Amino acid sequence: MVATILRLRLTTTIHQLRREWWRMLMLIGGAIWTLSLLPSVAITARALALRTTGVRTDAYTAIVTVLMIGWVVVPILIAGLDDSLDPARFASLGIGIRRIMPGLTVSAFLTIPALFFLTALFVFSTSWLPDGGEVFAVALAGALLSLATMILSARVSVMWIARLLQSRRSREIAFLVTLVGVFLLAPLASIVLADGLETILEYDATPILDSIRLTPIGAPIGAASAASAGQWSAVWWRLALSTGWVLLLWLTWRVNVKHVLVHPISRGGGTKAREDSMLAVALRVENRSGRPIGRWVGRWVGCPPRAVVAIRARAIRYWFTDARYLAAILSVTVFPVLFFFLVYPAFGSPVAVVMAVPLLLAGTIGWGRHNDVAYDSTALWLDVVAGRLGRAVMWGRTTATLVWAVPVVGAGIVAALVIGGRTDLAPGVIGASLGVLGTSLGVSAITSVVLPYRAPVPGENPFSAQVGSIGAGLFAQAISSLASWVVAVPVVLPLVAALAWDASWGWVGLVTGTATGVVALVLGVRWAGTLYDRRSGRLVAAVA
Amino acid sequence: MPVDAPALSLVGLHKRFGRTIAVDGLDLDVPTGSLYGLVGPNGAGKTTTLSMATGLLTPDAGTVLVHGTDLWKDPDHAKPMLGVLPDGLRTFDRLTGAELISYSGLLRGMNPATVEARRDDLLAALDLEVYSRILVTDFSAGMNKKISLACALIHAPRVLMLDEPFEAVDPVSAGAIRRILSSFVASGGTVIMSSHVMALVERVCDHVAIIGGGRVLAYGTLDEVRAGTDLEDRFVTLVGDVGEHRDLTWLQQS
Repeated sequence: MVATILRLRLTTTIHQLRREWWRMLMLIGGAIWTLSLLPSVAITARALALRTTGVRTDAYTAIVTVLMIGWVVVPILIAGLDDSLDPARFASLGIGIRRIMPGLTVSAFLTIPALFFLTALFVFSTSWLPDGGEVFAVALAGALLSLATMILSARVSVMWIARLLQSRRSREIAFLVTLVGVFLLAPLASIVLADGLETILEYDATPILDSIRLTPIGAPIGAASAASAGQWSAVWWRLALSTGWVLLLWLTWRVNVKHVLVHPISRGGGTKAREDSMLAVALRVENRSGRPIGRWVGRWVGCPPRAVVAIRARAIRYWFTDARYLAAILSVTVFPVLFFFLVYPAFGSPVAVVMAVPLLLAGTIGWGRHNDVAYDSTALWLDVVAGRLGRAVMWGRTTATLVWAVPVVGAGIVAALVIGGRTDLAPGVIGASLGVLGTSLGVSAITSVVLPYRAPVPGENPFSAQVGSIGAGLFAQAISSLASWVVAVPVVLPLVAALAWDASWGWVGLVTGTATGVVALVLGVRWAGTLYDRRSGRLVAAVA
Repeated sequence: MPVDAPALSLVGLHKRFGRTIAVDGLDLDVPTGSLYGLVGPNGAGKTTTLSMATGLLTPDAGTVLVHGTDLWKDPDHAKPMLGVLPDGLRTFDRLTGAELISYSGLLRGMNPATVEARRDDLLAALDLEVYSRILVTDFSAGMNKKISLACALIHAPRVLMLDEPFEAVDPVSAGAIRRILSSFVASGGTVIMSSHVMALVERVCDHVAIIGGGRVLAYGTLDEVRAGTDLEDRFVTLVGDVGEHRDLTWLQQS
């Protein structure tokens, strides 16, 4: 069975490579890049071999902790990296958990990142050689356990988050828990890190690293350092702790896979019933002033208002209930939250960097929509068949994004101004952020119609890589990010002037930035709509 | 426009995907007021033809005329006349059944009050009232077909293009759909439907076209195409039987 699953994985990869030669390039590029990192790994190992045991232990604990966090967090932040075998695909084959688990486990360890980390950790453990052969053996065992922990943690975290986002009830609970967590932890982190990173490194680092070595994450390193000190009982219990943790992770993964094998997303058996909110929204809009309120907007943007209301209502429904859209909101908000509540209090930042965060937030939100149309998958046939609704579709989708994007960017602006302490830069930052949001959304509207590529289908793992997406996707992403940067430059200039010279440049930025943002958005959406109509016969095939 | 102009006119449609030629110079005239069946083996090009005729797939060459209006050159006038039920495409399954039908009506610019009334009629006629408040993602395949049919009907089109409308639909609902289509045709509308099931086509349709290899092999009224024999026999004669009859002896139970 293991061999069958590995062969399945190999065959899928070969077919993918044959179908898209871009993927082969990426594979080779990735391999070369990882190989180029090996010399620095070797140099680090050599350097640490020459240091005292204490320094070596602390350094390795820190390194391993960072790598562990990376393994858990990166697959979630950067969607499209998880190209492992999705257990949900085995659901219809009727394979039991006992037969499939060994194959999945082995295949998880045979990925390029896993092999690279295996080599890197092996090289790291050679720096324990000077202390003796047995210490090296312990270090090697510890390295293998660390690798297993990293890989299994990644598997478990991706599956958990995907499951969380896909189940309606747990999603609401998770959102509440995260909100409470952020509001509790953020002030705590600010207080703890208030004295700055240097004091922490000076006084608190060693105790923190020591306590990490008591946890399963740092236990392998602790085992190696205990071995070099000759405390063999300590070695055994640390290795046992590590092994136990690996087993626990593997069992958790197994439980998840077992659940996924018999609970396919598409056969949920819905119990939640809701009224027709589509019609309710339409009637509300119609009755507001006796005639469709969007009529003047419609004439402005050039599209039928009732269709816009319907499409916007539909898009908002998807934004707040579909796992893929929620994953997009999640990945956009993680960086600013981390920055304001962890990085800034710890390291401090120049004012320019702090003020740039809401701009980056706005730009990321806008760029993230560069493949927006493809998220409908082939369901967009309903929009295509109903007439020439290109502008209505793009306007409805864009305004639905604005519904959550504007408050989020607003929160980012407030956070930057309050935490950065420069409220006199407010007009500049507001103008630049709104401008960047508007221009990047406008550019994204155009690229999502002109360069669509396959996005995760409803019900799929929102973090998985898509067949057919790499070549077209890379090209579309490159073009859209380049265009976003170019169009954003004039919007950001007044803020730069306000930072460099005189804060009253900010008022210029407020006016020009907001105006540019709005105009770019409207023009971009109009043009995207026209292109949508022109390309309507190719869209279904492009996103299938 | 002359009264006997065809409801749908396909002239010289071509489509190729890479090296495969899916539709190879297809010509078809569908008379107004007919229930036209399109039959053909798997991969004959029925779905590709219907996609090109409804605006979902750009033809490499050819024209599509809906009551004399060119679909690809004048979609503003042609698309409102069409009601489309495609096959093998997803639906907006985060909406409930009722919401999907309302959405389809609002997209066409209909008055919300009209949409509400017609939506309730459609839900009752297609026996979907119980599922009107459930998300489409929790629907079965047959319910999906019915709700998509309702979306195609809400704006009262003149021509219905249905790709496998009876697939996975239970007999009771199939009877209801047949009645709806028959009265639609009797009042002057046109229905073009594709199917694999010969018995169904013989029962429901009054005209039929056999498509194979991307071309029309035979067309006309049901009697003309049958030419005295069974439709299935005529079909097999034109399209060709399975090449090799192989017995799966290992499948025998005793």
